[in-house]
Amino acid sequence: MHRTTTRRTRRSALGALALAGALVLSACGEDTEPAEQSGSAATSGPEIVVTDPWVRATDGAEDTTMTAAFMDLANQGDEGVSLVSASSDVAGTVEIHEMANVDGKAVMQEAEDGVELKARGGQLLQPGGYHVMLMGLTEELAAGDEVELTLEFSDGSTQEITAPVKAFTEEEGQYHDHGSHDHGDDEKQGDEKHGNEDPEHP
Amino acid sequence: MSTSGVGRRGFLGYVGTAVAGAAAGVGGATLAGSSGRAEEPAAAPDTSSWAGRTIDPHGPHQPGVAATPAHVTELVALDLLPGTDRDALGRLMRVWTGDVEALTQGRPAPGDTAPWLATANADLTITVGAGPGAFGPRRLGAPPPGFGEVPPMRHDRLQERWNGGDLVLQVAGRDATTVAHAVRRLVADAAPFATLRWRQQGSWNGTGPQGQPVTGRNLFGQVDGSANPRPGTPLFDQTVWIPDGPWAGGTTLVVRRIRMDLDTWDELTRDEQEQSVGRRLDDGAPLSGGDELDDVDLRARSGGRLVVARDAHARRSHPGLNGGRRIFRKGANYVLDTDAGVESGLIFQSFQADLLDQFVPIQQTLDELDSLNEWTTAIGSATFAVLPGFEPGSWLGQSLLG
Repeated sequence: MHRTTTRRTRRSALGALALAGALVLSACGEDTEPAEQSGSAATSGPEIVVTDPWVRATDGAEDTTMTAAFMDLANQGDEGVSLVSASSDVAGTVEIHEMANVDGKAVMQEAEDGVELKARGGQLLQPGGYHVMLMGLTEELAAGDEVELTLEFSDGSTQEITAPVKAFTEEEGQYHDHGSHDHGDDEKQGDEKHGNEDPEHP
Repeated sequence: MSTSGVGRRGFLGYVGTAVAGAAAGVGGATLAGSSGRAEEPAAAPDTSSWAGRTIDPHGPHQPGVAATPAHVTELVALDLLPGTDRDALGRLMRVWTGDVEALTQGRPAPGDTAPWLATANADLTITVGAGPGAFGPRRLGAPPPGFGEVPPMRHDRLQERWNGGDLVLQVAGRDATTVAHAVRRLVADAAPFATLRWRQQGSWNGTGPQGQPVTGRNLFGQVDGSANPRPGTPLFDQTVWIPDGPWAGGTTLVVRRIRMDLDTWDELTRDEQEQSVGRRLDDGAPLSGGDELDDVDLRARSGGRLVVARDAHARRSHPGLNGGRRIFRKGANYVLDTDAGVESGLIFQSFQADLLDQFVPIQQTLDELDSLNEWTTAIGSATFAVLPGFEPGSWLGQSLLG
């Protein structure tokens, strides 16, 4: 099904999903359980539902020219499909990336075949796994901004999504380090104080 | 668990009662699956007896205000960073909106670093409000009518660590783990905009032994909240919701941390304890008669004496003594080990449409005279304007910041 998703319909779609008892998110990156569409007729082609997209803020990041988008992709249809490319007005280049093991080291590289979404299956795009890499950014992205992304799938369909920008507490090193760089930077950003997350109860 | 005959029979006796309640379709903790005879196979757990609800965060009001008191409530105050202007505040609200929509439905927040802790059917509500420092032309603009600070009260012994805040989150749910996870995410996502100021956690039991909803009790043992207007009634609506203007659908919240002196309270006779409030301890009914939810008769006399004493809390806080003014109150009991010893008390939350015209005069009446002042002391105070609700596709505070 071809669906153009504005912010509004994306949110309503989420509401409906949540009510349907929907996605069991797998946080480990393996295939996610497809959402049960109770009472829906059998679909013919792929039917892709995008849930909880977000983009990592560049505000305060060491390298503000690139970032990544993450989301949960569910294919509720009866045919497999792949996410093959993406584009955005805020980025000169957008690639689909995976984390691969090269010489015993985890590095990011372009996913040749995109992200496969099996029939009634799905894939979580998350830090440390598949992600949409945004490079050559035209502007700094602050937490709370919104990024419009167009996702393109192997069946020729596209989806427009709006992803909020969020600060992220994890050290940025590995996601901004393409293995070709020689700095494995592990320094925490100034705004990434973990002390705020779990204060001792006074 | 004891497997001796005596222990087991006693235990099963309770089970029998609880399961009867569950069979009648009432929620509440039961020990389903225990059958009276060991050789019988255990029945499948009756999840309806312990699962909570998933509460839709959308609507004209933030649902956490009128929702049945949850078992666990955390109140979290944050201070805005100096650079957080109107535009940044809007961005924070959009980020929090996404978090609220995900977490309350049991989904991890986008970018959740501990997604396994997001739990559905956790009665989770997240309510957002703004304190005095969030207003002004650079930020939220004008506060709602009648919003302000609570003036000092004679009996207050406020500690700076529990006062104030530019923003508040009231996160309430079934269990402390789910609530703590939500708080952690919301505070982490606010890091570019605001820093944690204080956090207070308390508990409330609004469920009776058969799973029926009950008013609940504070640590004195008093049924606490009997005189509340009932959510969904016109009286509730006019007491709580701001009727018009950009804040329509919002309300105001006073958070008072009230320390209770349980040791000296326990020295009182039951009669003295009941006289101090004007209600019976066993069922919360007014000393003037009737049931818990009946109004207190302030004129009732017995042998020439007022039945509800002149300084009884139920009299001093009664609308009849306060020009018809009312509030909607919620409590969360806390026990905290401090350097000065164990501190027990109540995190008192008062919701009202007009803070300066409803809460403040009633509080001043109580400060002037209230038998309970001998055992209760406010040690923290903060005021917030609770944002109006939001619909799918919109965001928290959009009517004010959009």
